Amino acid sequence: MKSVKIFLFSVIFLSIGSICFSNTSDLLLKAENHIASGNFDTAIEILNTIQFPEGKNEEDTINYVKAKIRIAQIASITKDFSSAQAACRKALNADPQNSEAKELLNSIKRQQSPKYVLFFTDSIRFFPSLLKGAFMTLLLVIVTMGVSPIGGLFIALGRISRFAPVSIICWFIIWFFRGTPLLLQLFFIYYGLPALGITLSPLCAALIGLGVNYSAYLAEIIRAGILSIESGQMEAAKALGMTYSQAMKRIIIPQTYKRLIPPVGNEFIALIKDTALVSTISMVELMRSADRLFNTYFNVNVLILAAVMYLLFTTVFTFIFENLEKRVGIYEKR
Amino acid sequence: MKKDNNILLTLKGITKYFGTHKALDNINLDVKKGEKVVIVGPSGSGKSTLLRAVNLLEKVEKGHIFFEKKEVGYRFKKGKRLLDSPKNISFLRSEIGMVFQHFNLFPHMTALQNVIEAPVTVKKMPKEKAVKIAEEVLAKVGLSDKKDSHPAKLSGGQKQRVAIARALAMEPKLMLFDEPTSALDPELVGEVFNTIKALAEEGMTMIIVTHQMGFAREIADRVIFMENGIFVEQGTPEEFFSSAQKNERISGFISSIL
Ligand SMILES: Nc1ncnc2c1ncn2[C@@H]1O[C@H](COP(=O)(O)OP(=O)(O)OP(=O)(O)O)[C@@H](O)[C@H]1O
Ligand SMILES: [Mg+2]
Repeated sequence: MKSVKIFLFSVIFLSIGSICFSNTSDLLLKAENHIASGNFDTAIEILNTIQFPEGKNEEDTINYVKAKIRIAQIASITKDFSSAQAACRKALNADPQNSEAKELLNSIKRQQSPKYVLFFTDSIRFFPSLLKGAFMTLLLVIVTMGVSPIGGLFIALGRISRFAPVSIICWFIIWFFRGTPLLLQLFFIYYGLPALGITLSPLCAALIGLGVNYSAYLAEIIRAGILSIESGQMEAAKALGMTYSQAMKRIIIPQTYKRLIPPVGNEFIALIKDTALVSTISMVELMRSADRLFNTYFNVNVLILAAVMYLLFTTVFTFIFENLEKRVGIYEKR
Repeated sequence: MKKDNNILLTLKGITKYFGTHKALDNINLDVKKGEKVVIVGPSGSGKSTLLRAVNLLEKVEKGHIFFEKKEVGYRFKKGKRLLDSPKNISFLRSEIGMVFQHFNLFPHMTALQNVIEAPVTVKKMPKEKAVKIAEEVLAKVGLSDKKDSHPAKLSGGQKQRVAIARALAMEPKLMLFDEPTSALDPELVGEVFNTIKALAEEGMTMIIVTHQMGFAREIADRVIFMENGIFVEQGTPEEFFSSAQKNERISGFISSIL
């Protein structure tokens, strides 16, 4: 308590002293010190003592403008937008060309406009770079969607194979890639492989990581789909003289499509969100773009906009999968 | 080997185990070209297993299969019994048609597609030719108007007739029927029997497993009673049904299913 009293006393003493004896530069310095230690009110008091110089003293004019800008900045942080604007105007009266004051005034005006206008103007500002990121996300999603069902099918067929070595290898692939976090796999591919002399671009590493991981996941789904087809189908195909691979290709696998679309669709929705993980291996996609903008502007609207874009993707793909399911299964309806 | 040139299929000493259970016990059978053999017997007696052994859907531990005088199905390597190459097995199966109790039509294909599938995929027949044959066999089973329907849209009897057409499109030398009417509602049994009868009249060689004694009597050249993996009794329908009255097990079986 004692130290606080001493501190307050010295602050008051110092400010009175500064009003009486300092020139404008000293005053500014003092005010900065107060700002640095968080005494905004005292700082503003000091800054307000800096008057517009009567004569044409250039240094005093500059200091006056600086003081007003400082006042405006403090006021805008404390959401006192009218004082902030007034201070800006005073600064601009003294120095109409001052760009800092102009920008500040604009930003204060922007902050005063209604929330939805603000969101709109922010959106327009952030949209281009987020859109670029979104395109990259879409690319990752579509390539993985194209590659992983094929990879998954081969791993599933290998897993079902009666040739033990193939079956064991495929079991291992599934076991490993489903049993470790995707993030870890990505790190290993991007940061770990260079140690073995394989250096990949972020895009390449991301596509390999997502592709293999999702192949392993889909393999189990596809395997279950194949095993769910009645054994009578394979028997009928064999009885007609088809080989195992002909029967798989012509009879069994086509019948799994309808059953596979819902669970595979689910995995693909998860994939859309999982692509955000590749931002950790310096791949600039939607999440990374949003993260960058957010760290620059500390503006929550960036995150809202990114969320809207992700939702747009998941909604569109959900719709596509639902339609596909209806169309593919048509033969089963009576 | 028999000297009879008319023999299509010979089974010699066929023995099949499921674990320790002997499903087929030293089965011997000659089937002449054009002959209709009907196999009857209680559930679990090994009738399906026998049919499946003939087209190698079931691998047997002992015995030999001769089709058109040639031994088929197995190779012997260093005293070990191995299934023949997939190509040879595939070829044998393409010459033997099989009709299943539960039809096993391909649900993702129309009736016509079901029928042309094997000729195109297995025999590499040009599609136009396969379609021509398919239309003929579908007409034969009376389903020309259903050729573009998927199985889900067909009745049980129609499904089984498509399944018969599907087998016929491969122009098989032998037809195996495993309880072709057991899954059908009684009123649909007749249409399938008539189809099989028409086929029989054309001279097709057949082995038919059925529980329908009336049909057996009507179509069979020979009836075989099977139990516990053994042929207990066989003969012409007349011989079989008269001796059946003397054989307690057979008469018991027949009265149980009537
Ligand atoms: N895949 C299998 N694994 C183990 N046992 C089997 C298998 N298939 C058949 N069996 C057994 O072999 C025996 C003969 O079966 P099979 O299906 O040939 O009889 P079935 O005469 O056709 O009978 P049903 O009239 O019921 O069709 C039965 O005891 C059955 O339980
Ligand atoms: Mg059976």
